Amino acid sequence: MIEKITAYRFERLDETLSQLNREDCAIIAGGTDVMVLHKSRRGVPPKIPKPIVFINHLSELKQVYQHHKDLHIGACCTYSELLENPLIPFALKNAIKTIAAPAIRNRGTLGGNICNASPAGDMLPLLYVYNAKLLLRSVNGDRMVAISDFIQGPRQVQRFHNEMVTEIILPFVLGDSHVVFEKVGNRNADTIAKVSFAGFVRISKDRIDDIRFAFGAVGPTMVRSIDIEKKLIGKTIPLADADIAEIVAAFDKIIRPIDDQRSTAAYRKTVALHLLRYFLSMKQYQPN
Amino acid sequence: MNLKDISTSVPKKDHKGKVSGQLPYISDVKVENMVYGVLYRSPIAYGKIISIQLPNLPDGYEAVGAEHIPGPNYVKIIKEDQPIFANEWVNYIGEPILMLTGKDLDILYSLLNEVKVEFEEHQAIYTLDEAIKQKSVSLVLASYEFGESLENISAIEQGAHQIIEEEYDTGYQEHVYLEPQGMLAVYKDDEIVVQGSMQCLYYIKNALLSALACGDDEVRVVQSPTGGGFGGKEDYPSMMACHVAVAARAVKKSVMLVFDRSEDMLVTTKRHPAKLKYRTALDKEGNILSMYVDIFLDGGANVGLSSVVLQRALLNSAGVYKIPHFHAKGYVLKTNTVPNGAFRGFGAPQSFAGIESHIGHLSKLAKIDPLAYKRKYLVKQGDPTITKGKFRDPILVEEMIEDVLNVSEYKKKKEDFQRLNQQNQRYKKGIGTSLFLHGCGFTGSGERDHIKAKVKLVKSKDDQVSLKISNSDMGQGILTTLCKIVAKELNLPFEDILYPYPDTKEVPDSGPTVASRTTMIVGKLLERAAKKLKNQWQTGVEQEVVEHYVHREMIPWDEKTFTGDAYPAYSWGVNIVEVEVDTLTGNLKLEKVYGNYEVGKVIDERIMKGQIDGGLAQGLAYGYLEKMTSKQGRIQQKSISDYGPPTSLDIVSIESKVFDNPYADGPYGAKGAGELTLIGGAPAVQAAIEDALHTSFQQIPITPEVIIESLWMKEGEEG
Repeated sequence: MIEKITAYRFERLDETLSQLNREDCAIIAGGTDVMVLHKSRRGVPPKIPKPIVFINHLSELKQVYQHHKDLHIGACCTYSELLENPLIPFALKNAIKTIAAPAIRNRGTLGGNICNASPAGDMLPLLYVYNAKLLLRSVNGDRMVAISDFIQGPRQVQRFHNEMVTEIILPFVLGDSHVVFEKVGNRNADTIAKVSFAGFVRISKDRIDDIRFAFGAVGPTMVRSIDIEKKLIGKTIPLADADIAEIVAAFDKIIRPIDDQRSTAAYRKTVALHLLRYFLSMKQYQPN
Repeated sequence: MNLKDISTSVPKKDHKGKVSGQLPYISDVKVENMVYGVLYRSPIAYGKIISIQLPNLPDGYEAVGAEHIPGPNYVKIIKEDQPIFANEWVNYIGEPILMLTGKDLDILYSLLNEVKVEFEEHQAIYTLDEAIKQKSVSLVLASYEFGESLENISAIEQGAHQIIEEEYDTGYQEHVYLEPQGMLAVYKDDEIVVQGSMQCLYYIKNALLSALACGDDEVRVVQSPTGGGFGGKEDYPSMMACHVAVAARAVKKSVMLVFDRSEDMLVTTKRHPAKLKYRTALDKEGNILSMYVDIFLDGGANVGLSSVVLQRALLNSAGVYKIPHFHAKGYVLKTNTVPNGAFRGFGAPQSFAGIESHIGHLSKLAKIDPLAYKRKYLVKQGDPTITKGKFRDPILVEEMIEDVLNVSEYKKKKEDFQRLNQQNQRYKKGIGTSLFLHGCGFTGSGERDHIKAKVKLVKSKDDQVSLKISNSDMGQGILTTLCKIVAKELNLPFEDILYPYPDTKEVPDSGPTVASRTTMIVGKLLERAAKKLKNQWQTGVEQEVVEHYVHREMIPWDEKTFTGDAYPAYSWGVNIVEVEVDTLTGNLKLEKVYGNYEVGKVIDERIMKGQIDGGLAQGLAYGYLEKMTSKQGRIQQKSISDYGPPTSLDIVSIESKVFDNPYADGPYGAKGAGELTLIGGAPAVQAAIEDALHTSFQQIPITPEVIIESLWMKEGEEG
C-alpha cells in the first residue's frame, strides 16, 4: 500500500509562510518530536495527518544576534549549534548538554522544543526564568508573545496555523545574575526529566533585586509564580530560615505532580522543593 | 595468526560485518512468498475465552489459531503449561491468542483492531506479595527445601543471643538485547525451516517437532546473527518459532514475526522478581550460629524454566560463605503477569543481592567492617557446599580481595569519605564490596542426563576445518573463542577455522547456549575433537570427528534431596564500587568500579573484558538504575528511555583483572565467565549507597525514589 505524502521545502522563509497561509501543515524542524509523536508500529512509516513543511534549512531561522542588548536566537538553531555559539549563556548551554544524546542534539531545535510544549521540555524552565519572548511571524506580520502565554498545556501552544515561531528573545538583564538549572532524570543521557528546576537571582549589595523560579515535569506546564517571587524582592542574602520556609510552603501548595511510569508524585514534589530550598539557602550567588 | 598464549586477543570473526552494518539480522531478511504475522494478544490478565470474532479478511490475509496446530497446543519446554495460542483460558495480558498473516503490516495492524474476543473475566493475581498471601497450593509452580534439620535450627535459635530477621525484595530486569526478538518460518513442501535470533537451536527444534507433530527431517532450525540474548533468547524464541511454523504450515507461505521494542518489552520474559527472607541466629559477638532462608520467585503466568531458576537461586542462597547450620526453602509462585524466564545469572543475582545485603547488615550489628566480616565466613578449598557437595579446586578469592583492596585504596577511601561527607551536606560518598561465585554449566547431572552434548569437526578435501555445533554466538564471542581453541589444538591459523551459523541439519546437539557452559563444556569437547582430528589427519581427505560429553563423577546430584555436587566447577569474583549520592534528588553517580575475577583461564582477553564491562554495567544497573513495574498485570515501561538501562554517561571505566587458575576439565583450563560478571554489581552498589548514607535498604533497585523516601519522607515532609 503506497501512500502519497505532500511535503514542502522552500528556499526562503517568505515562501514557507505563504504556503502556511494557504494550507494547514505539520511543521518539521528537527523532527525529533514530530516523528516520535506520529510513530507507527514496526514496519509502517509514521502517519502525519497533514502536509509537511520542512524548515530546518532556512537560514533566516538560524541566526543568533544581539539587538538592543536582547539576545535573539533563531528558532531553527540546533542544540549542537547553540553549544558552539559564544553568545549563548552558560546556563543555557548546561541545560542543552542534558538533552538526549549528540545525535538528537544535532537535529533538535530550540523552537521545536518550545512548540512541542512537553511538560518535561528540557529548555523550558530556563526560558521561563529568562522571561523569554517568542517572535511569531505570518504573512500578516509579526507579533511577540511571552513564553508563559504561548504554552497553554501539554502540546498546546498559541500558534495560528499560518504562523511560525521564528525567534526566541532573551531580554537584556541589567547587572549580574546568577542562574541555575537542574534536571533530574532516571539516567545521565537519553532521558526525560522526572523533575527540573531553574532558578534566577539578581542581587545588588546583598539585596535581592529580582528572583525567579520555574519547575518542569511537575504539572501540565512549567510552574512559575510571580506572586511568590515578589515576596523575596528586597530581602537580604543569606535569606532567613523563615523566609525560605514561607517560599517553600507557598510552592508546596501549587506544585501538583502525578504518578507515571517514570516516577511518583511524592518523589517529584519532594525533589522539586529540595532543589528550591537548596537554591534559596545559598550563602552567596556568583554571577554566571 | 598462530597464538603462543591462547588469551592473546584476535579480531572477532564477525567484527567486520557488525562494524560495517552489513551483517543481515532476521528483520533484514526477505524471502519469496513471504507474509508477515502479527499477534492478537489477550487484553485481560485472567479469564476464559467465550468467543472469537474475526473481521472480514481481504484476499491473502488469513487467521491462524489453536485449531491449526497439528500437535498438542503447548510450547515444549519443561512442563506442558504454556499454550502456543491460548484457546480456553488466558493467564496474562499479552498472551497470544491468534495470528493474522498477510503481506502488508499496515493492513494487518488495522485488522488486528477489528478482532473481537469475548472473555469471562476472573480475579487475577497481580503481584508476588498477593500470591504469597494466598498461601494456595495451586499457585506453587515449583518448590525445593534442603539443609540442616529444622529441629536443630530451632534448638540453636533458642540458645542464641539474638535472632535477626530480614525481608529483601528484588525487581524485574529486562534484557534489552539490542536486537528485538524475531523469527521466520520458510515454507517448503517437504520442510519448514525456522530461522531467527536465538540461543538454543535444539530447544526450538524439539518444540517444533511437538507442535507440528512431524518427522525429524521435516523441520530445520537455523540461527541468524543474533544481536544479544542475555537469556532472553533461551526460552522465549521457542514460542515464536511455534507461531511462525504453525502459521507457515497453515497458510503455505513463509511467515515472518518480528517484534518492535515496545512489543518486546511488554510481552517477553524478564528476570523473576523475588522476595528473600532471612532468619539468622547470632551470638553475643555477632557471629552467625544458624541461618534459615526462604525464597519466593514470581514465575508469572506459567512455569517455563522457573523451577530451574529457583534451583540456582537456592544453590546460591548462602553466597560464598560457609554458614554453620544452614537451611533453605524456595517457591516459584504463579501470578497473572508476563511469564518470567532465563536471564544472565538465572536466579543467582537475586540470591547474591539478598545474601550480600543480609551479611552486610549483620556486620553492622557486629560493628565490624563488612568486608572483614565476610572474610571470616569465606569458603575454602575442600569445604562442603550447602548441598553437601565439595569445593574441590583452589579458591583464590583471598588473593583477589587483597589485590583489589590495594588497587582501590579501600581503607584510605573509607576514611576520606567520612571526612568529606561531614563537610558536604548535599553529596555523600560511599564505598562497597561484593563477593560472589557462579557455578559453571548445568545444575547437577543436567549435562549427563539431559543435554548429552555432542560436537563434530568436519575437514573438507582442501583441509578446511569447520565447527559443527549447535551453539549460538549472540555477541559473547564464541565464533571467535571456540575457533581459537580448535586452531591452537590443530596448530592452524585461527582465520582458517570456519564456524558457520548453526543449522540443525548440519550440526549435532551440543546443547543450548546457556548457563556459562559453552566455553567450558563445548569448548572442552572441541579441544578433544581437535586432538583426535590431529592424530588422524590425512591431507586432502574429507574427515569427520565426533566427541561426546563425558561426565566426571563427583558427589552425585540428587534433585529430590537437593544434595550432591550442584556444579562441576565455580568461577569467582570480587567487586568494589564507589558512589556519590545526591541527597537532594537521590541520584547516584558511580565514581569508580573495580572487579577481580577468576574464570580458570581466559580464552580471549578482549572478549573477556567485554564480558566484564557489559556484565558489570548490567549488574550495577540492576542494583540502582533499571526499573520495571507492573500495574494490574500490565508492564508500565515500554521504551528504553522509560526503563533506563545505563548509557555511557552512567557507567565509568571499569578497572578489572583476571586471575589464572586453570581447571582440568575446561579447554586450556577455562571455566564459565558470561554470567559471573553480572552478579556482583547490584550488591556492591547497594553496599556503597549504604556506606554513603549510613542507612540500610531491603530492596533493589535502590532508585532515587527509594533513597528519597528513606532519607526524607519518613521523617515527615521536608524533614
